[in-house]
Amino acid sequence: MSFSLKKSYRLLLLLILFMVIIGIWRPNALLDGLQRGSLYAIIALPLALVLGILGVLNLAHGDFLTVGFYLIYMLYSRFNLDPLVSIVPAVLFLILLSGGIYLLTVKNVLKDGHLNQLLITFGISLVLIETINIIWTSRPRNVYTDYAYSAIEVGGFRFGTYELLYILIAVAVLVALQWFLKNTRLGQATFAVGQNPKGARIVGINVNFVYLFVFSVSIGILGIVAGFMLPRTAIFPGVGSPFSLKSFALAAMAGLGNLNGILIAGVTLGIGEAVINSIPNYGGWSDIVFFGVLIIVIISRSYRRAR
Amino acid sequence: MLKIKNLDVSYGKIQVIWDLNLNIKDNEAVGIFGPNGAGKSTLINAVIGLINNIDGEILFNGENIVGLSTHQIIKKGIALVPQKRELFPLMSVKENLKLGSAYIPSAKNKTDNNLEFVYSLFPILKEREKQIAGTMSGGQQRMLAVGRALMSSPKLLILDEPSIGLQPSLVTDLFKKLNEIKKEDVSILLAEQNVRQGLKVINRGYVLENGRIELEDSVKNLSSNEHIKKSYLGI
Ligand SMILES: Nc1ncnc2c1ncn2[C@@H]1O[C@H](COP(=O)(O)OP(=O)(O)OP(=O)(O)O)[C@@H](O)[C@H]1O
Ligand SMILES: [Mg+2]
Repeated sequence: MSFSLKKSYRLLLLLILFMVIIGIWRPNALLDGLQRGSLYAIIALPLALVLGILGVLNLAHGDFLTVGFYLIYMLYSRFNLDPLVSIVPAVLFLILLSGGIYLLTVKNVLKDGHLNQLLITFGISLVLIETINIIWTSRPRNVYTDYAYSAIEVGGFRFGTYELLYILIAVAVLVALQWFLKNTRLGQATFAVGQNPKGARIVGINVNFVYLFVFSVSIGILGIVAGFMLPRTAIFPGVGSPFSLKSFALAAMAGLGNLNGILIAGVTLGIGEAVINSIPNYGGWSDIVFFGVLIIVIISRSYRRAR
Repeated sequence: MLKIKNLDVSYGKIQVIWDLNLNIKDNEAVGIFGPNGAGKSTLINAVIGLINNIDGEILFNGENIVGLSTHQIIKKGIALVPQKRELFPLMSVKENLKLGSAYIPSAKNKTDNNLEFVYSLFPILKEREKQIAGTMSGGQQRMLAVGRALMSSPKLLILDEPSIGLQPSLVTDLFKKLNEIKKEDVSILLAEQNVRQGLKVINRGYVLENGRIELEDSVKNLSSNEHIKKSYLGI
């Protein structure tokens, strides 16, 4: 796997052009799309890391996000803790939970075929969803905070300020991740394992530890996302599941290991979806567009490679 | 330095190494010669903990290292130049070299000295220190793999068929370098099919065939041995 820092420029320019056009045509859809896209990207980033470094597609990815939601919801309803404050315990809890689950399950199938790995993460997904169902039932829940609904008006158009945070967080997580990979001992080890696990063992890197670390910290990042999303999201036990597939779609679209590409792909698809949603009576088409764009990108990429 | 006693190694139910005994003294260069599929790589992978289906003892400086993880064994002072090189293809030459010592506590503060030594041994690596490893030629990548192993200041350097895939002139060059490395305070275990070149480096050698040691002798006696001459030197 690679963490390509180059090669994203042309795509980035295209994206900016696309954003300018949408911005003129449907400014609200642009903002909405940027927010959605940033969310998709931060959720997809950790999935892409696990996929690139462990080679495991984690079908339970989105359900760990759900666990984060419910934990933060519980802290809010029992102790009246602000969701943004609860990010800290949520991240810690998700790291411990996913680390434990990793050691009990995923670790044992790393050398097996992909089918076994998919089955085991699918199993984890079911267990997480049903456990939540037992504890909290399937009744939708939400959390209200004032700040999540603050809005400003610029030039006659009103937009929510809270969701703009999503964009900042996505960029911050991406920058932090890349800094970590480049500048820390563990980050360099992670980068090395991603390129060649056997080579990493030979230079004395504890590869099994790197796998555990990448898996659990990736899931931990979802705690941050959960804290920021919860004030604007009604939750139920299956709320996170669709994100597993969407995240995989983004990772595939960006190309394995291209971290910047994930942000670009996320924002592109987010805006695409938002544009469709902004057209009256056509909102239901947004998923079709999401996966339609994905299919076109993947086909054109394999076409280019084949040439 | 290294003492292997009654070693059996298997892949699943298929046994590949049978009751193997081998030892390497301090600062000694030892060869393992054998044809394709004899079990040379299997033996080496067993020593550095990449294969766990092992029976017997592997003592490194008196300590049994069977059951330890590869990263623990490497930290004790064994370095490997793998048959398939196993470099980090997206990193530069220098980054690859630095990773050779970065995770070895005893070598970390020697990084600069070791880098200088590697560069003096293979000047091409210094010229190309910024080049991405995956874009280098096979011969240069082999030198990089040797250099990376040396970065950890190993007490035992294991080389798995370093001649494979190299044109003859490069093989001669590389084996000259091995003779220079030999002058340092290091033991060498060299697995080779290229016995003619291998004999120029080693002090003593074993012949491994079908997973069993068939012969062990000094370099002088091996050079005149009839079996070696016939099967490996084509005389
Ligand atoms: N991963 C594996 N699983 C099962 N059998 C294996 C595996 N790797 C090697 N073998 C078998 O073990 C035997 C020894 O192989 P090994 O690679 O150790 O030989 P070698 O002496 O290094 O040969 P070469 O000179 O071709 O590198 C061979 O019969 C090979 O088919
Ligand atoms: Mg071999």
